[in-house]
Amino acid sequence: MSAPNSSGSAAAPAVAASIHQLPLELIDSCIGSKIWVVMKSEKEFTGTLKYFDDYVNMVLEDVTEFENTPEGRKTTKLEQILLNGNNICMLIPGGDGPQ
Amino acid sequence: MEPTQDFTSFLIGRPVIVKLNSGVDYRGILACLDGYMNIALEQTEEYVNGQLKNKYGDTFIRGNNVLYISTAKGV
Amino acid sequence: MEEYAPLESTGIEEPLDLVRLSLDERIYVKLRGDRELRGKLHAYDGHLNMVLGDVEETITVVDVNDETMEEVIRIVKRNCEMLFVRGDGVILVSPPSRA
Repeated sequence: MSAPNSSGSAAAPAVAASIHQLPLELIDSCIGSKIWVVMKSEKEFTGTLKYFDDYVNMVLEDVTEFENTPEGRKTTKLEQILLNGNNICMLIPGGDGPQ
Repeated sequence: MEPTQDFTSFLIGRPVIVKLNSGVDYRGILACLDGYMNIALEQTEEYVNGQLKNKYGDTFIRGNNVLYISTAKGV
Repeated sequence: MEEYAPLESTGIEEPLDLVRLSLDERIYVKLRGDRELRGKLHAYDGHLNMVLGDVEETITVVDVNDETMEEVIRIVKRNCEMLFVRGDGVILVSPPSRA
């Protein structure tokens, strides 16, 4: 289970300070919470994390897709997605996305 | 069963949007899916920059190109 | 193990079945680098390596005019009696119906 985290706001998942937590345990503690996913390319996603597997393929709900193009940032709303873990760069728990 | 499999079995037979890393979208009925995210779609429509470019009966999409599979709203 | 009936009457239980059912049929293959192939599928494997016969290859080339910066789309076609396709270049395979 997550370590005590008295300072965190109610909305933020328990991103507990324990450095002994495994990376996948951190992601596991984000289930049901908002997460910000940064891809290797100029793409980002925010949404509620429903499930993930060992490859960090993820099911996200109420998703916003952000795409940075030379013409500016394009956003797309999606109900529910299965995101391929292959091209993920970084996961930010509780993140609201770019701006 | 892997929880992500619950979602994939939920998607089967439904209209979905498959987005590739290249930005191309495929809309169709999801026939099936495997662990590589290889996908079989029925009644496939190919959209490039939001514009319909092609229609195919059935298609096999190689999983390494797939960015995500999304439930399609209002199809 | 419980046996699941194949989806509807298509006989497709996994995506590769779609390719298996296309053996000895003319198929359409979309490849990376704006290349397309139409030919008869003689053989394939799990990587989507394929052997195609009586193939027509279509290559879409975008030429940019240096002076006007105009993009000119050029389509190059060529034919091949027998062709081996390496699976990692494959984006999409479609059976003949509307190919």
